[in-house]
Amino acid sequence: MKRLGWMALGAAVLLAAPATIGQSGDKPAVSERAKRLHTRALVVDTHSDTPQRMIYDNFDMGHRDADGHVDIPRLREGGLDAPFFSIWVSSTVTGPAAVKIALRQIDAVREQARKHPNDLMLATTVADIRKAHAQGKIAALMGMEGGHMIDDDLGLLRLYAALGVRYLTLTHFLNNNWADSSTDKPKHNGLTAFGKDVVRELNRLGVMVDISHVADKTFYDALEITKAPVIASHSSCRAICAHRRNMNDDMMRALAKNGGVMMINYEVSFLSEEYRKAVDQQDMTIIERQFEKECGKNMACQILMGNREARARMMDGRLPKVSWEKIIEHIDHAAKVAGVDHVGLGSDFDGATMPLGMDDASMMPRITQALLDKGYSEADIEKILGGNLLRVMERVEQASRMMQSESRGGGK
Amino acid sequence: MPRSALFVLVVLAVSGAVVSGVEAQEISERARRVHQRAIVVDTHIDVPASHSREAGYDVGQRHSQGHVDLPRMREGGLDAAFFSIFIPTTVTGPEAVKRSLELIDWTKRQVAMNSTAAVLATSAEDIRRAHKQGKLAILMGMEGGHMIDDSLSALRIYADLGVRYLTLTHSRKTNWAGSSGDSEDTGLTDFGREVVEELNRQGVMVDLSHVSDQTFYDAIATSKSPVILSHSSLRALCDHPRDITDEMLLAVKRNNGVVQITFVDSFISQELRTAEQAIAPERDAKIAELQKLYPEDEAKRREEGRRIRREYQAKLPKASWELIITHINHAVKVAGVDHVGLGSDFDGATMPEGMEDVTRLPKITDALLKKGYSEKDVEKILGGNLLRVLAEVERVGKEMRGAGRGK
Repeated sequence: MKRLGWMALGAAVLLAAPATIGQSGDKPAVSERAKRLHTRALVVDTHSDTPQRMIYDNFDMGHRDADGHVDIPRLREGGLDAPFFSIWVSSTVTGPAAVKIALRQIDAVREQARKHPNDLMLATTVADIRKAHAQGKIAALMGMEGGHMIDDDLGLLRLYAALGVRYLTLTHFLNNNWADSSTDKPKHNGLTAFGKDVVRELNRLGVMVDISHVADKTFYDALEITKAPVIASHSSCRAICAHRRNMNDDMMRALAKNGGVMMINYEVSFLSEEYRKAVDQQDMTIIERQFEKECGKNMACQILMGNREARARMMDGRLPKVSWEKIIEHIDHAAKVAGVDHVGLGSDFDGATMPLGMDDASMMPRITQALLDKGYSEADIEKILGGNLLRVMERVEQASRMMQSESRGGGK
Repeated sequence: MPRSALFVLVVLAVSGAVVSGVEAQEISERARRVHQRAIVVDTHIDVPASHSREAGYDVGQRHSQGHVDLPRMREGGLDAAFFSIFIPTTVTGPEAVKRSLELIDWTKRQVAMNSTAAVLATSAEDIRRAHKQGKLAILMGMEGGHMIDDSLSALRIYADLGVRYLTLTHSRKTNWAGSSGDSEDTGLTDFGREVVEELNRQGVMVDLSHVSDQTFYDAIATSKSPVILSHSSLRALCDHPRDITDEMLLAVKRNNGVVQITFVDSFISQELRTAEQAIAPERDAKIAELQKLYPEDEAKRREEGRRIRREYQAKLPKASWELIITHINHAVKVAGVDHVGLGSDFDGATMPEGMEDVTRLPKITDALLKKGYSEKDVEKILGGNLLRVLAEVERVGKEMRGAGRGK
């Protein structure tokens, strides 16, 4: 688990590391055309771990912070219109304890929206997102990263949905009682019968099924059961970087057939095969223990320290430097294999080590510029920036309405 | 005991349906009209705690057991019922949070299953709308501060899910508030005051039933909104710690709150209360002895315990439903007609004779009219006062939040 632990840390955030270590630096050069396009587009990011900072460090999104990747000023500057805030509890924490921490995070996101009514609007539908965008506000959404947080209880799942959670990642790093994870030993051969019920209930509730993190077999089981398109909220391409957390080309084609979308993750060990291999060979156990000792149960602190360490090692050469341009490479591969209708952005801001040049959310417009430079049409870029995700979410809402009216027709 | 109540009892033994017919004749046309027109609210009903573990239970069906279901609410003219979200105080920590959520989900599902008959309501406006549409309004109240597990986050989550009052304690003190069920009278701690303020901010009613006297006064001094007692009666008439003194009644009046008179037999009848206290030591000693008699056999202990309780229960005097009227009348005299309402504790306690279930509610309207109450005042008692308080609590909450609840 230790290496996995390191990965978990790596999978957490970094930030604007001090300029001496990390910065690829300068403000990205973005053309007028790219700026216009980026501003017009509805930019969606399906994975930000900012709630960790909210509950452990009492982080308020209203000010521009020196640490982390996301706050209101940087979302504004980066033109990120609709971030999904991730409700995440380590999969080593289970039962009612996990439920309680999850609720604290949901409450924290909702409190941020209440505290900043001129900047944030809690959104639970595509109509909400469009309304927020029209009013010049950031749409704050929630996704839940790990099926263990429902504590084997569809009732809890329904309440999370009622509170605004709009996707459930079926697993996190460990298997849960009803689904196998990509980073654990197979136990259920994919989804159990109850796991299939979870997928059906998600469909019925209009909550997106998220297959990031799950074992390949779980992915295929979920695709077979679901009546609505699914998402991979933060996964990249295995063809480029052979990490289990990424998707292979067959999976990407299956996802496209389902009408779903994969949201490219910016975590360096998922972007770069060279980096992934190098990290694999380093013994991180000692340093991890040190983080745990220093941070205790403060996950935001563990994430931050992990990212500082990773960035420091990139800068001093112990680990290979990974450039933000790798993100574009993954987007391009996904667009070629799955099609341009099935790719989007799931940064893992505040939960992962960012590549150099994507130091925080303010750097997002450089993705638009790079795609234009690569010859993508404006229409296609708008799809990647958010249009695809909105299409999937709309279809998920439609499927839910249909299922609910069918079930009402059958009973009372 | 009134002749009619005795008659009801006899018939009850034969058939519930017949009883309704008999009841119907007892109530004047005028009372029926007033009861029908009024929005009748009951702030404490234990349907979730008593039925959530029954497989296949449907609150939309008429049941022969218990006191409340939707068909009987309809018959009794009860328009808005607060279903109590209750977990025993022995369950604490995250487990209490999780089990509270399960009860909330259960309640919501019961309402969703019966969406043509009932609707989940979270505001005074919702209740009025439901009444206009001819639907029953189901609300949620949470009975016991231990269920927030010392967390304002959990409290806000409950509020977001629709809980509209929090009883600060149940019958044991929490880490931040004293209970009337404990011998020592602890008040509110600083965190307890924060809880009250957060309830105000969230537009959730502060419920002071069950709390210790000191906690009552501390909370009422802290609260920026009117408070309620969701199910309490009067100590001047029945000296039970769960009831409130006339001095407390006056404090509720000053706070512009409302006392919802409870029907629990041992909270309204001094005769019953005295007799119960007299037999309690002997009964409890006998029950304690079972541990020695059947150290290995828990089922036997439980069975014998039930037998002993029944045996002693049979020796106790019965309370009449008319005591409910006596309590309402006293509360009106002390605090005024604007500060009294109904909080039955149906499905959570033993009802007095003549108030066998929710279908008997119109008797209260009839009795108050006969006592000379104006129709307007009767409507206040039946629900108007509670609606006023709920609307005021919402207004203060909105003002404190400076914005909406969000979604």
